Amino acid sequence: MRITVDYGLCDGLGQCALVAPEVFALDDDEQLVVAPDPAPELAGKVAAAARACPVRAISVEGA
Amino acid sequence: MVGAGLAGVRACESLRARGFGGTLTVVSDEPDLPYDRPPLTKQVVAGTLTEADIRLAGAEDFGARWIRGTAAVGLDRVRRRVRLAGGAELPYDGLVLATGAQARPWPGQVPAGVLTVRGLADVRALRAAVGGGAREVVIVGAGFVGVELASSLVGLGLGVRVTLVEPFRRPLRALGGTVPDVVAAAARRAGVGLRLGTAVSGFRTAGERVAGVVPADGSDLPAELVVVAIGMVPATGWLAGAGLALPSGRVHCDARLFARTAAADGTAGAVDPRIVVAGDVAWCEAVRSADGPVPLEHWSNAAAQGELAAGNLLAGPAAADGYEHVPSFWTSAFGLRIKSVGLPGTGGRVVAEEGEPGSEKVVEAHYRDGRLVGAVSVNLGKRLVEYARRLQEERDRPEPAGDGRIPMPVAE
Ligand SMILES: Cc1cc2nc3c(=O)[nH]c(=O)nc-3n(C[C@H](O)[C@H](O)[C@H](O)COP(=O)(O)OP(=O)(O)OC[C@H]3O[C@@H](n4cnc5c(N)ncnc54)[C@H](O)[C@@H]3O)c2cc1C
Repeated sequence: MRITVDYGLCDGLGQCALVAPEVFALDDDEQLVVAPDPAPELAGKVAAAARACPVRAISVEGA
Repeated sequence: MVGAGLAGVRACESLRARGFGGTLTVVSDEPDLPYDRPPLTKQVVAGTLTEADIRLAGAEDFGARWIRGTAAVGLDRVRRRVRLAGGAELPYDGLVLATGAQARPWPGQVPAGVLTVRGLADVRALRAAVGGGAREVVIVGAGFVGVELASSLVGLGLGVRVTLVEPFRRPLRALGGTVPDVVAAAARRAGVGLRLGTAVSGFRTAGERVAGVVPADGSDLPAELVVVAIGMVPATGWLAGAGLALPSGRVHCDARLFARTAAADGTAGAVDPRIVVAGDVAWCEAVRSADGPVPLEHWSNAAAQGELAAGNLLAGPAAADGYEHVPSFWTSAFGLRIKSVGLPGTGGRVVAEEGEPGSEKVVEAHYRDGRLVGAVSVNLGKRLVEYARRLQEERDRPEPAGDGRIPMPVAE
């Protein structure tokens, strides 16, 4: 699974982290951090996190 | 599909993603293609995002038949028809109610130059007024729409003077705790004239146009442009007489988002298995505080309900999934990034659990009878994940019998 975040769009709203905290988190400055190589069984959660992004900054391939 | 805001668009996406191959008709009273609302009062007023940037769907999407600029004006559930302005009728096998809400209008006549803000057309008018030279703006109501607008307008760098008038003592008071005071201080620092504890009694005019706002204390606030931001009203006027239960004007739906019919005694009755509800218009039994269902006016709720409502409509009530959602919301103004999870407004005790209360980096947890009901962060959003997890655990914990349940007739 390959996750790409468009940091030009990402606004650090953190909705993805609420849906898939195993993979997405905000740092101290509310910038998005993505865990490398998420386990394949998280694919459904990652897809839901991408759908929960208000600015559609997350794309997922190979899930 | 009646209504093509976020909930409607997500429902369309979900219908097609689940293989629905039938005819999909989308009715919207707005002439514009669907767009996203949160950026309206933030980046669109600020001029950093354009209308094209916030589009949610195009006319070619979902293989749908779009009817735009036409309102649904009636629903006949027995004949399964939606009546449109102009008299046309649309038959349906399944119906998604996603008409959202409208800005609450000022109670009474308003002169030219007084606006409300809910949609793109309103923001165009606001931008046109400022572009046309309006520099004296009074915003009535310090909820999130009023506060975001105040921030965006003073941030334009055009010398727009903004006065924010609010009858309660604190802006964004629904957030509770110390966050409203932090917002008030930041607004003042940004140059906003904050008139808290001040009710507005009416408007002063010069000719046809507004010239000032008149607070109840008899003073006068000069205004070339006034924005009334006093909340919203669900868009269900067209459902009067349809036989659906409409508590506080919203469409009552069960935990699977099926609309409840109105029983003879006026209470909520059986569900209509052909009608689902999503977004700001919904009053869903699965979203509740200890006192009963709570309406949500949040982006994340509209997205999640739209998706689930469509799936459940295809599945039918017996095979439908329950709505399981931890509410979440964000707003930003004056450099403060504010986020919430749960229902902070329903708590009694507020505890700052990280950062200094009253500072611009804080997390406040809201408790009711010892149970976590919500949390609010300022510039510390990373902490909310933990609270969302705890709220989910609270939700999954069985409620003590008799605790806040509303009496409800059994569904068919
Ligand atoms: C200015 C603004 C800023 C916001 N900012 C945030 C934010 O920062 N964070 C957050 O979480 N939430 C925010 N929200 C809330 C969020 O945008 C809403 O919860 C969301 O838009 C609800 O979507 P909806 O599809 O239910 O309703 P709506 O977006 O209201 O869409 C309903 C659609 O139905 C149409 N309609 C109504 N009646 C009829 C009829 N009779 N016939 C046909 N069509 C009809 C309406 O015109 C509208 O197009 C904001 C809202 C606004 C207005």
